[in-house]
Parts: sequence; C-alpha cells; structure tokens
Amino acid sequence: MKTKHLILIGLLVLGYITAAKKVKDADFDDNEFAEFEDFDEDEEVTLDEEADFPAESDDTPQQQATDDNNDDDEEEDDDEGTVETEDDEFDHFADDDEFEGFDKDTRTGKGKSVEPDLKIAKVPIHLRTNWDSFYLEMLMLAGLGVYFLNFLAGKTKNSKLAQAWFSCHKQMLEENFTIVGDDGQSKEPTQGGLMKESENVYTIWCSGRVCVEGMLVELKLIKRQDLINVMSNLLKPTSDQLVIKVNMDQATEKFCMCVANKKVAGKLQKDYADLATFTEKKSLDRYNVPSSFQLLSEIGEATSLVLDKRVCQALDSFETQIEYIHISDQYSGPKNQYEDNQTKMPEVKPTIVFCFNVAGKGKTKTTDMESMKPLLKLVFYLVDKVARIALSKEGKQKSDKNRQKAEESFLKSAHAQRQEAAQLRREEKRRQEKERIMNEEDPDKARKWEERQNKQDLKRKQPRTKMLKMKGM
Amino acid sequence: MSSTSAHDPRRPNKVVRYKPPNTNGGPGDDPTPDYMNLLGMIFSMCGLMMKLKWCAWCAVYCSFISFSNSRASEDTKQTLSSFMLSISAVVMSYLQNPQPMTLPFQ
Repeated sequence: MKTKHLILIGLLVLGYITAAKKVKDADFDDNEFAEFEDFDEDEEVTLDEEADFPAESDDTPQQQATDDNNDDDEEEDDDEGTVETEDDEFDHFADDDEFEGFDKDTRTGKGKSVEPDLKIAKVPIHLRTNWDSFYLEMLMLAGLGVYFLNFLAGKTKNSKLAQAWFSCHKQMLEENFTIVGDDGQSKEPTQGGLMKESENVYTIWCSGRVCVEGMLVELKLIKRQDLINVMSNLLKPTSDQLVIKVNMDQATEKFCMCVANKKVAGKLQKDYADLATFTEKKSLDRYNVPSSFQLLSEIGEATSLVLDKRVCQALDSFETQIEYIHISDQYSGPKNQYEDNQTKMPEVKPTIVFCFNVAGKGKTKTTDMESMKPLLKLVFYLVDKVARIALSKEGKQKSDKNRQKAEESFLKSAHAQRQEAAQLRREEKRRQEKERIMNEEDPDKARKWEERQNKQDLKRKQPRTKMLKMKGM
Repeated sequence: MSSTSAHDPRRPNKVVRYKPPNTNGGPGDDPTPDYMNLLGMIFSMCGLMMKLKWCAWCAVYCSFISFSNSRASEDTKQTLSSFMLSISAVVMSYLQNPQPMTLPFQ
C-alpha cells in the first residue's frame, strides 16, 4: 500500500511538471522563477513528507494546485499591468545574494540614466584651420630668423673690419718682416693673409726681422655675429681689441715691467705669473704720463730707459687706445687655473705684448682702422728700443738675484709637492697590498706577508736607533 | 721710426714658422661654444623624452649660439650633430602632439 502511494505521488509530480511546461510556454521565465520561489515551500512539504509521509500525501497535490492557481492569477495580472508584476517578479534581482560575481555598477550604467551625460570630445586644433593658436611657434621661428640674419650681418662686418685693418697696415708689415701671413701648414713659409680663428678673431703671423723671432697680431673683434653679445654690448659697450705679441730674441735684457690702464692693471698682476712674482706697483709721477695708467715695475732703471720722451708722448696722445704694454723676459702666458700643482717651471720666453683698443668703442667703422697706424709704429719703435737696452751692472745683478730667488722658491714648493705625491703613492701601494692579502684565502701566505712587512718596518726604524747608540758611545 | 732701405730690419735668414698655440686656446679661452653645445644636447634630450616643446626650441637656440661662437679650429661635426639633434627633437615633439606649444608657466 505504501509503495503504491509513493508511485502515485511521483507520477502526479511528473505530470504536473510537464503540464506546467506545456501551458506556460509564453511566460517561461516567470514560471521558472516562480517555481524557484515556491521551492522553499516544496522543500518544506517534502521534508514534511519524509517525516509524516502518509498524512500529508494528499496535501502536496492540493498545495501544488493552489500554486497553479496562483500562477494563473499572476499570468492574468501580467496581461493587464506589467510594471507591478515585474517588480514582484524581479524582486530577487534586487537581492545581492542571489547573484555571484555580478558587477552592480555596470548594470546601473546600462540602465535608464536620468540625465544624458554627453561628453564632448576635444577636437585637435589643426594647423591649416587655426593659424592663430600657433603664435608661440611663429615667435620662435621669427627669433631664429632674426638671430640668423644678425649672424650673417655680424660676420660680414667683422670680416670687413679685419680686411680693412690688414689692407691699411700691410705695407708697414711688409717693410718690417720677410714673411707676412705664414700659416704654418705648408712646407715653405708662404705669404698669406689673415687667418680666421673664429667669426670674431683674426690672426696673422709675421717673421724674419732683426731682434725679433716673430710677431703674432690678433684682431679680437666684438662678437657681432652673436645676437646675445650684441645685446649685452648695448648695455655695456666694449671695444674691438688688437693684441700684438712680439717674441723677442734671447739676447734681450732680463727685466719685467708693465704699463697698463688702471682698470686692468690689478687683473694683469693676478693673471700673469711673471708680473705677480717680479713686479711691484710703482708710481708714474716721474714720467709725463696720464694718470689713468698704472706702472708695474721690477727694475727702475729699465723702466726709465723704456719710458723715454717719445713713448710718454705716445701714451699721452693715445691714452684711450692703449690698454697695456707688457715687457717681460719671463713671459709664460696667463696662469693656467687647472694646473695649480706644477712640478716643472713653465716655459718662459722674452716677449712684449701690446694691447690696443680700436677707436669707436664698439661702433667701429672701417675708416677707423687708419687711426691704428701710429700704434703699429710705436710697436716697432719699442721693439727696437728694448732690444738695444743695456742694463748697468747693478741692474743686472738685481735682476739675476730676483730670478734666482724665484726659482728656488718654486723648486721648494715643487719639491714639497713631489714628496707629498710620493708619500701618497706609497700609502696607496700599501693599502692595495693589504687589501690583496686580506682577500687571500690562504692563511699561510697572509702570515708570511705580515712577517715580511714587520721585518721591513724594523729595518726602516733600525738606522735611527743605531745612530743614537753610536752617539751614546 | 720708419725703416729706410739702408736700415732694412728684415732678415730672411731669421724666419720662424708659425706654431698654432693649441695649449692656450682651448679650455682657458672662451668656453661658450662648449657650454652651449652641452646645454643644447641636454635640452633636446629633455624635449624628446618628456615631450616638452619649449625644451626642444631652447635646444635649437642653444645649438645656434654654439655654432656662431665656435672656433675655426674646432670640429664642426660636434656642432652639426647637436644642431641635428635639436631639430629632430622639435620635429618629434610636433609629430607626437601637433598642438600649439604651451610655456611651462602657463
């Protein structure tokens, strides 16, 4: 009897399911979920069934029937008003626990938004359609154009000035030198012209004259080709400069002196080793020279021989144009800042350096170059004069003494430096050996090396103790 | 003071060849072209890597200044290469982002 009941119930359940499927095709979703909704009740029913099977065997079909009725009602409701039923139907959507791995945010985005959020995409500005917005680029290009134009103009002007100077003074140079304009490149000395060191520096080398090894003329013009320099010159005007460096014969008398514009005298004394070592500031009261000049002299006798009437007259008439005149037998160029520790004395040559300012204070014209001719004459005059100077015995003694003293002090400082360097090197060596031994894994080797070191140390200390002993005895 | 034919100071047997003073003219001399060269390269690197247009333009200016201040004895390859680098920095900045330039403080 019990088994018969079971079979009957099972058949009824199956029949219900298939019937439900056939009838409710249209509202499949709803009924599917409705089934799940009532699943708890069914579960309860089945549980109850298990507990009290015979008693409730009749109840379950009844319940199922009522469920069917409910579904029918819902179906009817669906036809009339979908919203409410949908809410009811979709209540479980709101339940977060129902769904796993569901991103609520994306779902809400896809849903009906209240305000349409329109994002206006940025349309890139195109060159052809919108020239105005590229004003900075135009400015940059204009700036470059201006710079380039200035470069061409400045380069041309400098070149013209240099050529003007050369054409003015060529004859005088050729009268005084065998070779004017040697470039040092070709096999034979050639007669060339100006050499261009840069857009604002032109040089020329002349050689083959009595008392003189050679003469280098440097035209240090203003950087007219660089716009930034031009603008800084508008604020602080500078002049074009002519630097003439004459390498004298070795037979020249040994003395050091300099007549310079007060503004540059201090700087010269600092920058040049020979002026710093040998000369002192002296007054120019004795000489008929403008007060804008400063004298740096070693031997008064030599200075008075050099600064004769004619030279003083020239200094007076060309006061603004003469920057400095530097006569020295120990000339070695400006001090090299990077080589403070020199162990060897720098090479010296007897030299006369003239520095002239071109008239015009920057606003030079090619015609101004004519006014430089008397200055070149002064150069030759002084060169000949210095070559012919003969110091008295006292003067020579004084100059020799000064040079000897300077050499000794230099050697002392050099010796001290060399000792320091040697000490450092020795220490470095020992440190390296120690490191090597430390890294050695063999303990025997390390011991041996240590023993050797101790022996050496003892040896070094021994002579002293020995001497003491001898003295004691 | 001017020499006459009787007192000709010229001595053909005393000619000494010109030796360019390489040691003096170099670091002691005007270091502007070297600094500008280096600055130009730094600016162009910044402009390329950080896509800053104003850096690239500054690099062009720097290489121009370096070129105009350069000595004749210097190698032109260095200046030219720095110039090319700055031009390429400008071109690359505009290819990547063809928008007008904005200054750093804007």
